[in-house]
Amino acid sequence: MAEILTVTDLKKVYGKGGSLTRALDGVSLSLEAGEFVGVMGPSGSGKTTLLNCVSTIDRPSAGSIVIDGRELTRLKGKELAKFRRERLGFIFQDCNLLDTLTAYENIALSLSIIRAPAQKIDRRVREMADFLGIADCLNKYPYQMSGGQQQRCAAARAMVTHPALVLADEPTGALDSKASSMLLGRLDALNQELGTTILMVTHDAFTASCCRRVVFLQDGQIFLELHRGNDSRKSFFQKIIRVVTEMGGGMADVL
Amino acid sequence: MFSKLALRNVRRSFRDYGVYLLTLTFGVCLFYTFNSIEGQGAIVYLSQSKNPIVDVIMTIIDIFSVFVAVVLACLILYANRFLLRRRKRELGTYLLLGLSQGQVSRLLFLETGIVGLISLAAGLVLGVLASFGMSALTLSLFQMDVSALLALNFSPQAAGRTVLYFGIIFLLVMALSGVQVSRSKLIDLIHGERKNEVLKPRPLMAAVVQLILGVVCLIAAYAILLVFGMAVAVAVPFLCFPMLGLGTLGTLLIFRSLSGFVMKFVQNRPGLYFKNLNVFTLRQWLSKVHTTYLAQTVVCILLLLAIGITASCMGLNFTLNSLTDGEAPVDLTLWDYYNTVEGEEPLDFPALLQEGGVDVDSRLSGQASILLYRNDPEITGFGQKEGEAVQAVLALSDYNRQLALLGQPAIALAPGAYQTVEESPINGASHWRWLIVEDTVAEKLEIQNQCWSANYAENAEETERTIFQLIAPMDTTRSVYADSRLETYMDMMGSKILVLFLGLYLGFTFLLAAAAVLALQQLSQGADNTRRYAVLRRLGAEEKQVARSATQQVALAFLLPLVLALVHSVVGMKAANEIIATAGRVDSAASSAVTAGVLLIVYGGYFLATSLACRRMAKNA
Repeated sequence: MAEILTVTDLKKVYGKGGSLTRALDGVSLSLEAGEFVGVMGPSGSGKTTLLNCVSTIDRPSAGSIVIDGRELTRLKGKELAKFRRERLGFIFQDCNLLDTLTAYENIALSLSIIRAPAQKIDRRVREMADFLGIADCLNKYPYQMSGGQQQRCAAARAMVTHPALVLADEPTGALDSKASSMLLGRLDALNQELGTTILMVTHDAFTASCCRRVVFLQDGQIFLELHRGNDSRKSFFQKIIRVVTEMGGGMADVL
Repeated sequence: MFSKLALRNVRRSFRDYGVYLLTLTFGVCLFYTFNSIEGQGAIVYLSQSKNPIVDVIMTIIDIFSVFVAVVLACLILYANRFLLRRRKRELGTYLLLGLSQGQVSRLLFLETGIVGLISLAAGLVLGVLASFGMSALTLSLFQMDVSALLALNFSPQAAGRTVLYFGIIFLLVMALSGVQVSRSKLIDLIHGERKNEVLKPRPLMAAVVQLILGVVCLIAAYAILLVFGMAVAVAVPFLCFPMLGLGTLGTLLIFRSLSGFVMKFVQNRPGLYFKNLNVFTLRQWLSKVHTTYLAQTVVCILLLLAIGITASCMGLNFTLNSLTDGEAPVDLTLWDYYNTVEGEEPLDFPALLQEGGVDVDSRLSGQASILLYRNDPEITGFGQKEGEAVQAVLALSDYNRQLALLGQPAIALAPGAYQTVEESPINGASHWRWLIVEDTVAEKLEIQNQCWSANYAENAEETERTIFQLIAPMDTTRSVYADSRLETYMDMMGSKILVLFLGLYLGFTFLLAAAAVLALQQLSQGADNTRRYAVLRRLGAEEKQVARSATQQVALAFLLPLVLALVHSVVGMKAANEIIATAGRVDSAASSAVTAGVLLIVYGGYFLATSLACRRMAKNA
């Protein structure tokens, strides 16, 4: 399958002179179209920095990022904004819905921004809302919806433009377990049925277990990669837990 | 330590303080400019000629200054409350760090003091310049060359008064911010930024009903004003209060309902609804309506006052201008009432003046003496019918001599005929009606008085002074009084300048208040919006689109009250012009132009400053 995202030897250094912090220290990663990949790691391992670099919010110090055949590090200003709105979709931990807009308008806005034809907007919004199970709260304001509904609305907003790559940063971070399962179920369905490529950052093993592949980051480097293969979700979850414990265990040795 | 912190706070929050500082400075400038009119050219000129209107102007400006000071005080207190709300979190942090409420109050006290001092100084400097501009403007109204009186001048008295009034206002502000801090709870301050605005989907029917109700209220108010006329509608309480009440209610309802209405309208047009960031811009507007419609109504009324007062005063000003010529067609007319019963003869003024040392030939360019007769319908044949009345009768030869002095062609009468004239040939009889009859008819009539008119050759002021000195004693011995064009002109100028000053003073004050309220509100909302702009940018919206949306939001807030205020003032001016028209011809085009200019400078300036600041906030989000 075609490669959607290729990250090669990515480095990101914060600070100057003596107080250097290497947030990313030579990360290489590639995603094929239709993959659902999770990035795990403890705080400070560099997962958010990786996501920020891929999402063009931050610029890497060295290395290259190629999305859909375009070299990101060479894009500038307007091109970058254009690329971001047409090829990428975002889901954040604090869903980041606009509080003054209804759910419907939040989803429609991202279509407005990519200048989708006005006649098609309504249909696309409703289709995506149906898929994510929020059709009945389209006319509600964010504060009238539950956390799970808000996050699914944010997911709809990210997906409705049919981006090449959806980037999710701790999407279940602020949700209870029931809402989390619901959201993850829908993300999985999106991935399976619509073939959306998703890169998800999380520190929660359960959330990560619904991915097809999980990459573990530690101190800015890739520590391990796990493939789900034909495992059931339960056994994949246990594998992940084992790795997380091992990563924690490394610390325990020092103690 | 505190003064350092205060100073740094002021410098750091210069952007927050920007509009506040601007408003204070403008306020000080306005106040100084109109209180320093004593030293301004026009007033200096008027007081040189000992015109009694100078005292009237000074007194009226004094009285209105108190009123203006109250308006400005309210505005400044409002602005300050706004700033404090913005800084809740910062103040909460001070308290959390262990500063006592007294100390925080002291900090605010110092900050207000610094801001006050800066704006006082800047305002006074600007005021001196504006005063110069005012001087030039009023002097340009004179039809003679008075440019020698134009000079940059500083009035310590006006400055002292400005410092006194604003000192009191600042003390008030300091005291109130101290009270506000000591009364607020720490938890509220810390969470001050979190705002819960409840957005309820409101049914369209409610909006439609409100809009219709609002329009009906406005039409009723307009009808009262136009049907009864402004004089009656304002003077009669049971007309005045319903009119004002209905007008205000109508405005309120329209602002309340308009956004919901527009939203629905746009939603049915996908091409417009989904274009650019229109969804976002409209929703932003809608979300704020229920907190801002009151402010918008107040701003609308302030604007109406500003426009109405400025335009009325300008209209009156231009009207007065055209009056001078009608009042005084010649340079000087001496009215001589002599007692015909006791056999007194008309005075020979040229000889008298010559005797008194005025060389009539060189000092006067022309002169004419005429006799005014009382009408007797039996003799003249005029005035027998109902409504036929004249104030004086003139002999044809007298009238023609007078016309020659005015530089107009003589008229002729058919034998036995008469003619009525509306235009006064002499000074001091502007609304009189004259009957011109043949000399032989006039001789049979009773003499009313003599009028001697003259035009000065050169050096009008000096000639007039000499003549006035000569005739002054005659006022008691024999009833002689003078009616001169220069005096009429001075009175007129005095009235003009009074009207002009008052109009600009009050107009500027209300305009400043309206613009500042809007600017503060928009800036505060702009700051709240930064989070939303960040989301838009993450979704990939272009800088240009985000900036445009920010500008559109400010424009909506500034334009809507202006549009409604303009509609109000068109109706109001129609009624007001009817009153002004009784004083003379109304030049509504000129008064509208001046008003529009003033409006554009102040309101436009504030709009520009606010939208630039909001764009910058959106950019840095």
